[in-house]
Amino acid sequence: MNAFAYVTARSAENAMESVRENGRYLAGGIDLLGQIKEGLTEPARLVNIKELPETGEILPGKAGWRIGANVTLDTLTRHPELRQRFPALAQAADDVGSPQMRVVATVGGNLAQHSRCWYYRHRDVQCLKRGGSQCFARGGMNKYHSLFTGCRCLSPCVSNLAVALAALDARVVVRRAKKTDTLTLAELFSAAWSNAKVHHSLAPSDLILHIELPVQPAVGSVYQQLSERSAFDWALVSCAVSGRLDKGRLRNVRMVLGAIAPTPWEVKAANTSLEGAEPTDAQFEKAAERLLREAVPQEHNGYKIPQARALVRRSLTRLVLSLQGTA
Amino acid sequence: MRLTINGELRELALEPRTTLLEALRLHAGVTGPKESCDRASCGACSVLLGDKAIYACSLLAIEAQGAEITTVEGLSRTGELTRLQQAFVDKDGLQCGFCTPGMIITLAALLRRTPHPTEAGIRAAIAGNLCRCGSHPRIVAAALDATGGRVTESLHVLQVHDHGLA
Amino acid sequence: MAWPKETKYLGKATPRLEGPVKVSGRARYTADVAPPGMLFGAILRSTLPAARIKSVDLSRALAAPGIKAGVTAKPTPFLARYYGDEIAALAGTSRNAVLDALRLITVDAEPLPFVVDELEAVRSDAPRVVADRANLGEGAEKVTGEVDAAFANAAAVVEGTYRTQVELHHPMETHGHVVQWDEDNEMTAWSSTQGVFGVRDAFSKQLGIPQSKVRVLCEHMGGGFGSKFSPGAEGVLGARLARAARAPVRLVLTRFEESLAVGNRPSSVQKIKLGADASGKLTAFQLESIGTPGHSTGVSNAGGSGGAAFPAPYIYRPAATRVKQGSVAINAGASCAMRAPGHPVASFGMESILDDLAAKLGIDPVAIRLMNDPSELRRREYELGAERFGWAKKFRAPGTSPGPVKVGVGCAGAAWMSGGRGTQAEIQVNNDSTLEVRVGTQDLGTGSRTVVQVVAAEILGIERELISVRIGDTRFPPSGASGGSTTTASVSPAVLDTCENVLAELRTVSGIEDPRGNRWKDACKRIGAAPLVVRGKWREGLSTGGACGVQFAEVEVDTETGFIKLRNILAVQDCGTVVNRLTCESQINGGVIMGIGYALYEERLMDPRTGVMLNPNFETYKLPGFADIPPIDILLLDMPERGVIGVGEPCTIPTASAIANAIANALGIRVASLPITPDKILAALGKVPGGEPRALTSARQNEAFTQLAALPTLAPVLSTAGGSHT
Repeated sequence: MNAFAYVTARSAENAMESVRENGRYLAGGIDLLGQIKEGLTEPARLVNIKELPETGEILPGKAGWRIGANVTLDTLTRHPELRQRFPALAQAADDVGSPQMRVVATVGGNLAQHSRCWYYRHRDVQCLKRGGSQCFARGGMNKYHSLFTGCRCLSPCVSNLAVALAALDARVVVRRAKKTDTLTLAELFSAAWSNAKVHHSLAPSDLILHIELPVQPAVGSVYQQLSERSAFDWALVSCAVSGRLDKGRLRNVRMVLGAIAPTPWEVKAANTSLEGAEPTDAQFEKAAERLLREAVPQEHNGYKIPQARALVRRSLTRLVLSLQGTA
Repeated sequence: MRLTINGELRELALEPRTTLLEALRLHAGVTGPKESCDRASCGACSVLLGDKAIYACSLLAIEAQGAEITTVEGLSRTGELTRLQQAFVDKDGLQCGFCTPGMIITLAALLRRTPHPTEAGIRAAIAGNLCRCGSHPRIVAAALDATGGRVTESLHVLQVHDHGLA
Repeated sequence: MAWPKETKYLGKATPRLEGPVKVSGRARYTADVAPPGMLFGAILRSTLPAARIKSVDLSRALAAPGIKAGVTAKPTPFLARYYGDEIAALAGTSRNAVLDALRLITVDAEPLPFVVDELEAVRSDAPRVVADRANLGEGAEKVTGEVDAAFANAAAVVEGTYRTQVELHHPMETHGHVVQWDEDNEMTAWSSTQGVFGVRDAFSKQLGIPQSKVRVLCEHMGGGFGSKFSPGAEGVLGARLARAARAPVRLVLTRFEESLAVGNRPSSVQKIKLGADASGKLTAFQLESIGTPGHSTGVSNAGGSGGAAFPAPYIYRPAATRVKQGSVAINAGASCAMRAPGHPVASFGMESILDDLAAKLGIDPVAIRLMNDPSELRRREYELGAERFGWAKKFRAPGTSPGPVKVGVGCAGAAWMSGGRGTQAEIQVNNDSTLEVRVGTQDLGTGSRTVVQVVAAEILGIERELISVRIGDTRFPPSGASGGSTTTASVSPAVLDTCENVLAELRTVSGIEDPRGNRWKDACKRIGAAPLVVRGKWREGLSTGGACGVQFAEVEVDTETGFIKLRNILAVQDCGTVVNRLTCESQINGGVIMGIGYALYEERLMDPRTGVMLNPNFETYKLPGFADIPPIDILLLDMPERGVIGVGEPCTIPTASAIANAIANALGIRVASLPITPDKILAALGKVPGGEPRALTSARQNEAFTQLAALPTLAPVLSTAGGSHT
């Protein structure tokens, strides 16, 4: 790694000030240290943000929960009430990496992580996202890449938490230069849809402070992913669904897919197609078809389409079973 | 920097970019944890930070200050093998041994939390540790043996004498 | 003297001698060795897939803080032939100092055209990897019998194209050496190696110094799988740096470098045609194949071939065979021997098409093998295995498993020559009853150290605790490299012979007729002040080759997601006399698990446009993990009359074939390309919209075989044994 200075920020202002002029925020460090080791980035200064006040706690609340950006994924998975209330979030966290990773990886870091595209991550390939002129995944080895995108870059969002949080209608509270913004997950990633050079909508000095999760009575959630290896692997496709049953009919269903677009992928019309619907396979298939209708398979990633369809159907099935108390 | 390694406080002059693994192996002379990938993808560098197993290659030494760092050498105060280590020897939970310190540390962390894990629990706990020699079945057998779990025998030996071969 | 029939140690379960030091972190591997004044070395590698390196300027790097020496890999100008090829190396007082300074080396490199896809490289208009040579070479055709007539008369003929990937060894310990020169220009290397003597001789040759001035040590090493026979460029560069710096240098590769530059298993594209009579007896076989050994074959300079050729029709013997194999160079790291070189490749094509033929004829896969396998031992293994596995109950006609998650079973067989060869050993017996056995062999994790102790304890009739074992030093009596599954079969007879010589000496010295067992202590007391030192060597009659082995696999395939789950695997394995059933079981597990990786997860990927390797890491070069490994059941045949036979390689040969056959049985459709990943399953089932997956580019394959056919055919070589060995 290049030589850098290390400072610990005691406040958000302090952090944002310290990260100016070639600084990078250091949370868990798994992603950042990996980038520095490959020479993808050479920060002059690492700003430790783990000591920031009010970022390390899970705070349950009647109307909503607040989860600090520095809460580790391990902590998330071990919180009994959180597992019960927000099963999709706990499962999404549990599927990230390995146990050793999860004890240092943070909620904020998982959301803010950079692309895992192997061209982007390659020390000797200057791809479009890294300031070059070409997306090598286009017409290249794109097995792990997006089915949907609004720009030249084919790199998908691979944050497990983003998918689950989107389905749970979470908000991400971000401290920015002049203000604090509360973003939906869609807004958190929207810039990546059309701007090939970014991974999300955060500016380099933006700081995720915490997540807000609304308490939605009677709403269940499920997260599942498909990977080549059964553990310790990135998702080929991931899926989170939430919703409730009202007299045997589905209500307020949200279906979100991950690893297939630069943002967590959600289609309103697909969600609403299930409003008041009977929970049948046929309905689930229709909804999945609507969700995937605009998919543009590349040379090597078309398999994600049947996988996503299966995942949506199975997640909805499990959701219904969990709501019926028979999961 | 001041790092507490296996119960001993060490003062080391280190650059901020020094990882905990480098601090241990190159500066403190503690070579139990191994470097195999340096990218948080194999677990050979696993050490205990407090009671939790982490990848030493992916933590800056500067951030390990103030914590109890335990490497495989420090699991036993007396130098005698722990029950888990002995089980690895007895059940052959190793071949080349390069992944072994990481495996032992990760399992030690599990056992501190769950003294009698299930087989599924063991597999989940060491999901972040790779082994190329293929000692996985024996590693699981060793972990079960060390914790009083039931180990199913998978080797059956048949003596064959009647054959026309030299 | 043969191996004793009633044994106390031989054939039992003996814990590894070095187990305690390995589990406590005290075992020292190459990167743990740090002689005083040691420097760190690192290599600058080509970032271009092909380039003419016109000049290398080390001056700025040499002036950087902490840098003590720098060398260029070769005299300029030279060619870099792949992404990762060595250009220069530096040594310095800290790793960071060296890595920082590498960036100060100025390289004047002229990029050259390159090709990294073997199907592109066969084309006549492809860039040449080596200037004066076509990329596609070899191609000698071997023929037995009347092939065209046999196919014409066959009752059933199947054809198919089967592909295997380039596979990497990826031992957990990367390649590396610590090299130290002393004042008399004598060199000591602590090497991570499978062959201390081979490495010694290679160092001697490449550095231009006498063999007697080189000592190579390897006390513990973290795996090799065929890639650590030679010092490699990294060893020689480290030695040159140490000589230039007049200080010891430790040069250990990173995982990134390990992925690029230390060898691999060549790929294959196999076009096979198989014919049989109505009963299923094979009558005709035709194979055309190409594969890539990277930019050249044989990084290894000792033991095992690294080339793209393989035995065909593997273990079967149809009367009429025609085999034409070609090797195609690409701008990628050179291949070398990898655990059973050629055999898993051969097995995959042959066992897949055999099952495809069985499916066409409606014959049970085990039955067709019993009908065609010439090896009586393997036939017996199939019968034993089928019963243990529950084959008759589990087997269904292909594709008839109900439901979206389909279950299937498959099997395959292996043959591996192994055998033992010349090894010498030395035993020093002390008057306090303890003794030390010294052999210049290696323990890769295979348990050779423990084998030595077991044999000595058995023959001398004494407790193991009295016996120290020292290995891995070229100052000890020589042993061959640890490869080809020959170590146990080489070392055990040598130790037995030495022990017999010890007993003879002890008899003379002590006057005790039989110094074994409870007379050992008394006999040793009479040795006197100077210990006995006795030599011995390998001899005939105690070891042999010819291991077989069959494996069965049961899988579930989710036809909606393409996900494959292994339910269980059974390995029926013979290895002659079992010396240590504990370490033997571990080796078999190891071979099977490596086979699982080959079947389902591993592939070295090159990017055609940039020429770089896309997955030089464990994140996207995927090794099977704990969650991926099913119960592995082992039926080990202990056949003492055959003597000691090695087991490390036969046990990895048929695994991927058995798994692939199980998948084909489950689906009723053949996925003919390794690794079998979910995307390929879905493509085979016709569920993938859009572009054609990489592996099914049939047009490009046809082109490749046209090129192969056009290679000048030497006069067909008529042989009585068709192309393979047993």
